[in-house]
Amino acid sequence: MEYLVILLLLIVFVQTRIMDLKRSIYCLSLQALVIAIACLVVGFEHAEGFEAIIPSLMTLTIKVVCIPYIMLRLVGQITDETEIKSNINVNYSTAASALFLLLSYMIIDKVLPATAARDILAASIFVILTGLNLIVMRRRAIMQMVGLITMENGIYLLGLMMTEGLPLVIELGVFLDVLIAVVVLVILTSHLRLSFKTTDTNVLRKLKG
Amino acid sequence: MDARTVFYIILSLPALCALVALSKKLSTDVIHWVNRVTATIVTAAIIYLGIIYDGNYAYSTEYFYLDALSMWMLIIITILYFSMAWIGKSYLEREHSSRGYLSKSPDLIGRYYALSQAFVWCMYLVLIVKNLGLMWVAIEATTLISALLVSFKFNRTALEAAWKYVMVCTVGICFAFIGTLILYYAQTTAIGSLHALNWVYLYENAASLDPALAKLAFCFLFVGYGTKIGLAPMHSWLPDAYSEAPSLTSGMLSGALCTCAIYVFLRNVVIVMPSVGLEFITQLSLTFAILTVAVAVPFVVVQRDIKRMLAYSSLENIGLMVAGIGLFTTLSLKATLLHMFNHALIKFVLFYIAGTIIQEYRTKNMMRIHGMVAQVPHTSTFWLLGIIGILGMPPLGLFFSKFYILESFFKSGYNLAGAIVIVLLAGVLIGLLYHAVRMLCGKPRRPAEADLPDSIDTTVLIALLLATCVVSAGLSEIAYMNNLIDNAVKILTGGMPL
Repeated sequence: MEYLVILLLLIVFVQTRIMDLKRSIYCLSLQALVIAIACLVVGFEHAEGFEAIIPSLMTLTIKVVCIPYIMLRLVGQITDETEIKSNINVNYSTAASALFLLLSYMIIDKVLPATAARDILAASIFVILTGLNLIVMRRRAIMQMVGLITMENGIYLLGLMMTEGLPLVIELGVFLDVLIAVVVLVILTSHLRLSFKTTDTNVLRKLKG
Repeated sequence: MDARTVFYIILSLPALCALVALSKKLSTDVIHWVNRVTATIVTAAIIYLGIIYDGNYAYSTEYFYLDALSMWMLIIITILYFSMAWIGKSYLEREHSSRGYLSKSPDLIGRYYALSQAFVWCMYLVLIVKNLGLMWVAIEATTLISALLVSFKFNRTALEAAWKYVMVCTVGICFAFIGTLILYYAQTTAIGSLHALNWVYLYENAASLDPALAKLAFCFLFVGYGTKIGLAPMHSWLPDAYSEAPSLTSGMLSGALCTCAIYVFLRNVVIVMPSVGLEFITQLSLTFAILTVAVAVPFVVVQRDIKRMLAYSSLENIGLMVAGIGLFTTLSLKATLLHMFNHALIKFVLFYIAGTIIQEYRTKNMMRIHGMVAQVPHTSTFWLLGIIGILGMPPLGLFFSKFYILESFFKSGYNLAGAIVIVLLAGVLIGLLYHAVRMLCGKPRRPAEADLPDSIDTTVLIALLLATCVVSAGLSEIAYMNNLIDNAVKILTGGMPL
């Protein structure tokens, strides 16, 4: 488990530095893969047989394969691929992530002192905060989607570790929601591209007051 | 036929209708009628449910659950659903024949109906599931489906509104999910992981949850569902989404979706109430509620966009409802439930009329509309009635519920907060009335289309407005409704065994 935590932290740190849309989506897929493995480990600790592998199987199909595939198809239509140079430097988001890591350990020690899964709980809070950070700091529509799914991954991991897995029906519903969310966002993004000729969300500032 | 069969009807018919409408096999005329018939059958099913279920006990199966509280919400949603189906035809046809967003292709009407039915389907799901986790799933699904409705026009402003709506609401609702997870963790540590997040089981064992964890869970749930309800300062998506959506959808968003979000919030509040304690919940709710009303005032006064003005008026009413929940007395909860009913119906009427005014004058800018009384007498009658209603003037129903909420402020001893809210409400009144009267009176300066609402529309609108009067003023005389609302309040305050 420790190796998985380290791997996850590394991937999320890399995520904050990537500006290329395609690579960012590959990174997202990798992130989900780590979570699928964590799911499998937890599953075998608490259940047996088929039930143990269903959550990890769903993570694998939906988050590792389906969602990145849908997003990559969208990226294929977009010509200017890299993140527009943000006025806020990438280094700031990495530095913020480092702060978030400290913060998440502090939160865990305060809220759930002496828990066995300290590292992985802290890691999941770190992933949630970094996802939020990506949504706020990035301007491209696709990068904001990446942030949203990163955050959702973190929440899923948090739930997995805190509660040994939710009931199957709820889990199924959550996966369905994530999938629909991505489809809706992809539809909106492709229309953004048609109407505004760009997927930079900074053009969305007409509605005020 | 028992309640379970009714649930199957509610959950199968709208989905089926959505698929039929999406398939493009039928002509537009037939789809209008398929939509109306579906809504009518579902309404009949709900009326049947009202006959066999009197609200004195809780009907519960493994996944479904029905008690007085959800029955009350089902009534609200069903009234709006029925009205939307019957007045939708003429509205959409006008939008299609004029230079509206449906003029590009008649297929869009089918798509609109499909999305609307799916949206209503999700809201029904929110109201009849038993599990807090599944409620979260359904609420998130309503966000996603209504996002496609908000962006339905697919012009620049609609896309902007939809993008903000999805981003803000999804992030907000993710916080609610964290809250739900913490609640589940509290449940596993206190009473075991059996019946995970089952509302009835949690309700019965609510006192044994760990106070610190419950408090943490409540904070996350408050922020999460507060975003979805539209509390300031998380309300930034609300005016955009309400103003850019097609008018029928705006009415549903403001009336039905907001009701559903408050319903889920109420269910969660009841669970954490015994261990967190009343004081914390009251303080947090009142602070944010008053902030919400305060945010609405300046924006109503300086507003130029007719639908944005209505959106900010929704914000004011949302603030009052959350304040009523925060006070958590028998009177305030009863008033809040009544307020949800009245606000949903009147706001639906107002958004529909606003949509009609936009069609008649081809502008959303209120400053360019004058002399409506002379040009479009029918529309202006309903506009005036709706505005009087939403401001809380008698005899329309909102007067009673608003009055009870304000009364409960003073009865609970929050005199200062009550006084502040009254001053703020006066501000909203001045703003709304100024704009409405300015539109109605004066000399017409701009040609208008003919007076558009047809006979079905006006009948439905009158029925909705009258329903608020009758139900609010005569609540104690309508035994069924009175019993339902009393039992719902008992469930919320913990005085009713399930």
